[in-house]
Amino acid sequence: MSILTDLGVRVRALLFRRSEERELDEELHDHLVREAAERIRRGATPDEARREAALAFGGMEQFTEQVRDARGTRPLEDLVADLRYAARGLRRSPAFTVTAVLVLSLGLGATAVVYSIAHAVVLADLPYPDPDRLVRVMEQNSPTNRWALSTADVTAIREQQRVFEAWGEIQRTAAALSGSGAPERVVVGRVSSGYFDAIGIPVARGRAIEPGDGAAEAPPVMVVTNALAERRFGNANSAVGKALTLDGVTHTIVGVLPPGRGTLGGASADVWPALKLQPPTRRGPFWLGGVGRLKPGVSIQAAERDLASVSDALLPLYTDWHDSAAKLTPIPLSSLIVGTTGRQVGLFAGGVALVLLLAIVNVATLVLVRSSAREPELAVRVMLGARRRRIARLLVTENLLLTLTAGTVGVAMAAVGLDVAITQLPGLPRIQDATLDWRVLSLALGVSVLAGILVSLSPIMGLSGPDALARHAGGRRAGSGLRTGRLRAVFVVTQFALAWPLLVVAGLLSGSFARLQRVDHGFDPDGLAAVAATLPPARYPNAAAVQAFWLVAQQRVAGLPGVTAVGLATQIPPDRSGSTDNFNLVSRPVPRGQSEPQSPWYYVTASYFPALGIDLVEGRTFTAADTSAAFPVVVVSRSWARRYFGRASVAGEQLIQGGCFDCPRTTIIGVVEDIRNLGPALPADAVYGSLTQIAPRSLFVVARQARTTARHAEGMRDALRALDPELPLTVATLSERLDTSLADPRRWAAVLSAFSVVGLGLASIGIFGLMANTVRQRRREIGVRLALGADPAGVTRLIVTRGLAYAVTGSAVGLAVSLLVASRLRYLLYGVSPTDAATFAGVGLLLLTSALVSTWIPARRAARIRPIEAIASD
Amino acid sequence: MPPDSAHVQHTLEMLVLKALSLAPLHGWGIGHRIGQLSRGAFEVQQGSLYPALLRMRRRGWIRSEWRRTENNRRARYYLLTAAGRRQLGIETAAWEQATAAVRDFLRLRSVEETT
Repeated sequence: MSILTDLGVRVRALLFRRSEERELDEELHDHLVREAAERIRRGATPDEARREAALAFGGMEQFTEQVRDARGTRPLEDLVADLRYAARGLRRSPAFTVTAVLVLSLGLGATAVVYSIAHAVVLADLPYPDPDRLVRVMEQNSPTNRWALSTADVTAIREQQRVFEAWGEIQRTAAALSGSGAPERVVVGRVSSGYFDAIGIPVARGRAIEPGDGAAEAPPVMVVTNALAERRFGNANSAVGKALTLDGVTHTIVGVLPPGRGTLGGASADVWPALKLQPPTRRGPFWLGGVGRLKPGVSIQAAERDLASVSDALLPLYTDWHDSAAKLTPIPLSSLIVGTTGRQVGLFAGGVALVLLLAIVNVATLVLVRSSAREPELAVRVMLGARRRRIARLLVTENLLLTLTAGTVGVAMAAVGLDVAITQLPGLPRIQDATLDWRVLSLALGVSVLAGILVSLSPIMGLSGPDALARHAGGRRAGSGLRTGRLRAVFVVTQFALAWPLLVVAGLLSGSFARLQRVDHGFDPDGLAAVAATLPPARYPNAAAVQAFWLVAQQRVAGLPGVTAVGLATQIPPDRSGSTDNFNLVSRPVPRGQSEPQSPWYYVTASYFPALGIDLVEGRTFTAADTSAAFPVVVVSRSWARRYFGRASVAGEQLIQGGCFDCPRTTIIGVVEDIRNLGPALPADAVYGSLTQIAPRSLFVVARQARTTARHAEGMRDALRALDPELPLTVATLSERLDTSLADPRRWAAVLSAFSVVGLGLASIGIFGLMANTVRQRRREIGVRLALGADPAGVTRLIVTRGLAYAVTGSAVGLAVSLLVASRLRYLLYGVSPTDAATFAGVGLLLLTSALVSTWIPARRAARIRPIEAIASD
Repeated sequence: MPPDSAHVQHTLEMLVLKALSLAPLHGWGIGHRIGQLSRGAFEVQQGSLYPALLRMRRRGWIRSEWRRTENNRRARYYLLTAAGRRQLGIETAAWEQATAAVRDFLRLRSVEETT
């Protein structure tokens, strides 16, 4: 009650300050009139009465002030007055205000954008209930080597595990979807009944996959995403019960996922049919993703022990597998999903933190330079009796006004910047979720306030020196305050030290990107285009039909005008699917207890090699005689031969493929030149099997023309469409494909280069501001020197030397910091050492040149000072 | 021990509460009434009344309203609130307790002196 009354009186006093004042006047006037009347009644003359009344009242001003104090609105009124004063001050120096606000808001805006992205991509919880209980289980035989699960693995886990309350598997493929609408290629996630339970996302309509759906004889059913249901049937409700054909097999839709859910546990798919597993006959192949939800209170270590005992029990059951080091290993799902993205976001966050620090130090320099110009004004205030604390508060208010304005502008910039960033960085998982939420806004506010206080510290320190007053006692400046002068030098040195790592990292990443672009892929992408197609089993029921289609397709494409060569392959560069197989060399078998080596493994036609321009090194490639009835043969790449045999000549060697001891041995019939199948930065090992010996449903048709033209790829698509109009096709030129594979390094180099340009600009502004101010402050001194006959060129040299000394000092610190930072970025670099001398030298040269230019202008101005004017002016 | 300003403040507020407990008054009237009631024993510095009145208003002990006076002028009158009346009771009791304690103490000393 009493608090409310108090507040009421104060708020009223604040809101109606004028009428409060008027009422106080009226009340006091009334008082004096009454007192005077009382004294007249007692016999005084009116004049005497008025004088005596005033005397009895006491100091009118003093009590009026006391009343004002008693209202309790003083702190706020002072703040308003300070703010008015600050705003006036900032308006008076627009160049300073605009520069400072712009510098800081750029830093803050960039920070807000990067932080929102970092939050959405790395820091935010996965969008599933209790996400920290979700683990992925993989086979792992060393900290760096892990792979998927086999049917034998998941059967054992299902039977023996004691740590999961729910467990499920997923296998992702692509398939042709038809029925009710145009045919399209969709991503398929075959899941067991436990998968949705483990992730913790129930279906929105219908039912989920149930245990019975996984039985071999059960009718095919699937769950679809809400997006697919709406696309195909108009709405989610009507989709349930409908049938769609997946690679020729009719599936009934039993359920629809909630809207917006297309990714579960890091795997995205359009349709989610029931996974059907055959009883395992051997330990491999490893093709399933397993996800478990830990029981409450079960640690990841407990799960690791439990799964290790499952591995141990499994090992003696299968004779094809001897790797006792390989254990079923739980990995927190969040760490898998965030994974390398975390490091990429870390790179951006580190860069933006440097930019923000640079911006704050830069504004601190500007503020200090400005406050030294205002020293006379502040000194006058001190002499007139203003307490130092009061002046300090005034400075803090002014700087807070500045930084908070910058914060507001920065957030506005970030709102625009974030939209741009989201469209420019589509590769980052969950980036669409990035928003400027309360976390980002409070971060921006916090940093603004902190920056306001930080940049105020330096002028306040300058203020408190015992000489602050004396310096201006005679209205003459004896020279800049030692303390603030030194501080400014520290600021400038710091800016150079901060700009260094930005420029070095940007330089290293750009160099790395340039090398990636120049990498010899082993083939000329110009003139190559590819069409990917998948043949549905409904219309192509057996190997003969599949073989026949691919043969005709190859002939039709070869008949297109301008096409000089055509080949078929299961994968073409850059191969992101990671098609691999394990093998054992007959002449050099792997010792028992170790896992077999794995290699990228492709199936191609003999015509694939000339189409891409891959030369034969030794032996032969495939012939019509290498049929599925003949012994299996492979061609290997030069790198593969060197890695496993240490020589290029390996034709005639034999190997056991895929751990299949019963199968006939595979013979190496030839060696071909390397191409960068996996991408420019990865090894060129490859084994090529013959497409005459197997008949895969999904293939790439690659054709070469003299030069890449838009018509080229379209012509290929039309030729295949003429063969089968319902076939879903994907078309791309090889140049496009290679370009996409460089998107990440290009992005790293671009973002860091943008940061470093800002860094260079800020450091230059900083040193220019400092030197210009030094010249202004030492004008008299320089004037005297010149009057006494000093050489103007000498004066220029003096100023430039001083500026360069700061830049060199900052560079020494920056060099050390850069070496430290760069050594941690080795994993991002290709073909460039983290201590690349050329990059470091280039950065040093660039920074020192910009320092030279930035100090040259004020230095020239110093040399042109006219002694008479300078001495007389102060 | 010379009376410090907080002490003076406190006494002044108690006097104002007492004066207003009898009838609503304007500022000048309060000072005048205190003088009358104490038969000139308390001479209030007139100006110091106004900061005190504002503080008491913020504490909710008194409230103010503008009224027409006898000769049809406008004046701000102060009225005791329920909280103010309670406060006056507390102050009075505390004061009486304190004076009684001092009186007893002084009497005690005089008894010792006679023995």
